[in-house]
Amino acid sequence: MAELTAFGYRSGRSLLHRLDPRTKLISLILISIGSLGAGISGLAILLLLFGAALRTVHLSLSAIIREIRYFLFLLAVVFLTRALSAPGTPVWSVWDVTVTREGIYEGLLVSGRLLVVVLWGLLFVAVTRPSEVRATIIRLLGPVPLIPEKRVATMFSLLVRFIPVIAHQARETGEAQRSRGIEARRNPVFRLTVFAVPLMRRIFQDADELVIAMEARCYSEDRTGPDLSWRRRDRIALPAVAVLILVIRFL
Amino acid sequence: MPILEVEGLRHRFADGAPALSGIDLSVEAGEFVVIAGPNGCGKTTLLRHLNGLIPPRTGRVRVDGVSVAKDPARARRMVGMVFQDADAQIVGETVYDDVAFGPENLRLDRSEIHDRVTAALAAVSMTHLADQRPHLLSGGEKRRVAIAGILAMRSPILVLDEPFSNLDYPGVRDVLEQVLSLHRNGHTLILTTHDLEKVLAHADRLVVMGDGRILRDGPPAAAVKGIDAFGVREPRASRQGLPLDSWLS
Repeated sequence: MAELTAFGYRSGRSLLHRLDPRTKLISLILISIGSLGAGISGLAILLLLFGAALRTVHLSLSAIIREIRYFLFLLAVVFLTRALSAPGTPVWSVWDVTVTREGIYEGLLVSGRLLVVVLWGLLFVAVTRPSEVRATIIRLLGPVPLIPEKRVATMFSLLVRFIPVIAHQARETGEAQRSRGIEARRNPVFRLTVFAVPLMRRIFQDADELVIAMEARCYSEDRTGPDLSWRRRDRIALPAVAVLILVIRFL
Repeated sequence: MPILEVEGLRHRFADGAPALSGIDLSVEAGEFVVIAGPNGCGKTTLLRHLNGLIPPRTGRVRVDGVSVAKDPARARRMVGMVFQDADAQIVGETVYDDVAFGPENLRLDRSEIHDRVTAALAAVSMTHLADQRPHLLSGGEKRRVAIAGILAMRSPILVLDEPFSNLDYPGVRDVLEQVLSLHRNGHTLILTTHDLEKVLAHADRLVVMGDGRILRDGPPAAAVKGIDAFGVREPRASRQGLPLDSWLS
C-alpha cells in the first residue's frame, strides 16, 4: 500500500507546476477520454508529448518505470492475450498458438491506451500539490447538489495523510506476528483474523484520537476555502489541450 | 488575574472510575508549569478539560476569566494543545498544509494564513521541510510540526502532553529548545511528564498529581524532594543535593 504513495508531489517551478490545478485536472480528464478513442498514431503523439513534459519538470524516466513496474507487467499480459487471441492474418505460429497481425495491433492499442492514462496521471500527481488537488475537488464539486464538497475534501486529505500510517501499522502488526511464529499456522482464516483484529483496533483508536486533535484545533466545515487563480497561461493551455484531443480523435 | 483557573474539578470515566477528584489549580500568564505523575493519574484528563474537549461536569474551568463550558470555541483558540502522539495530531498531506489547518478553521484570509504558517515554521526551524510529507519526518520533527500547528493559531497558552515520549536524545533536546524559546516569547506553558529529569530545571513550578488529586504544588527544587513516593523518579541531581541540571548544558 505504501508504494501507492511513494510517488508523490515533487516541488518545482516549471510551467506544469504553475498551471492552475483545475486546468491540469480537466486536461488529464480530456487526455484520458481522448486516448480511449485514439489510434496508434494518436497514442504515439500523446507518449511523445509526455516525454517532452517529463523533461520540462526534470523527472527521470527510470524513476517512473520503477514506479509502474508491476503495471508494465500487467500491460504485457494484456498485450500477449490480445496478440494470441485475436483472429486474423498469422504472423508467427508454433503448434496451436498463433500470433496474428490484427492481434498485435489490438494489443498495442489497448495497452498503449492504458499506459497513456497512467503516465499522464503520474505526471499530474508529480506536479500538483495534494492541497491543490483538494482545492480543485472543492471547486469542481461546488456546483454539484447534495455533495458536501468541504467534507469530501477533508476526507480526501485525511486519506492521503493516513494511508502510509496505516500501511506502516499493518507492517508492524505483521512483523510482530511473524516473530511469534504465525507462519506455522496453516489456516488462512485464522491468520487473517488475528492480523485484522489488532490492526483494526489500533486504526479505530487512532481515528478517535484524530477526532479529538482536530476538535482541539477548532475544526469546522466552515473553513477558509482554497485560493485558485485562473491566469493567462491557463486560458491558453486548456483550449490547446482540447484542440490536441480533437486532432488525435480524427487522426 | 490568573490566565487559567480550575476550581473543584471532578471527573469520572464512563465506567464510573474516578479520574479527577477535586482539582484546584491556577496558572499566571507567562508561567511554565510542569505537571508530573505516574501513568493513569489523571494528567491527560485534566488537560482535556482546559480547552473544553471534555466539558466540566462538576467544578469550573476558566480561561482568561471566561468559563470554558460557556465558550469552548474561545477556549480552544486560547489554549493550544500538543498531543502525546504527534502522528494522530498531524492531519495535513504536507507539513505546510498541516500548519495551515488551524488557521483555516479560524476562517482567516489566505494571505494571513500564509504569513502565520511561514512564521510558525520559521519559529520551529522547519521552513526547509514545508513541502515534506509528514510520515517521512523523524519523531522530533513531527513533534515540531505539531507545535507549529498550534503556534499558527496564536494561542497564548500552550499545553504539551508528554512531549518527550518516544524521542531519542537529539529529539528531546530539539523539542526542549523549542519549548524554552516559546516560554521566552511570553507563552504560558503547561507540560506533563513522568520523566522530570529532562525538563524540570527550566520550569517555574512543579505540580505533582496522583489518583486524580494534586499532591504537591510549588517551586521545582522544593516540590521535587522525595517525589519517588508518588511514583515519579526524583532527578539524580536533586537526590545528591545538587541544583537541578539542564539537558541542554
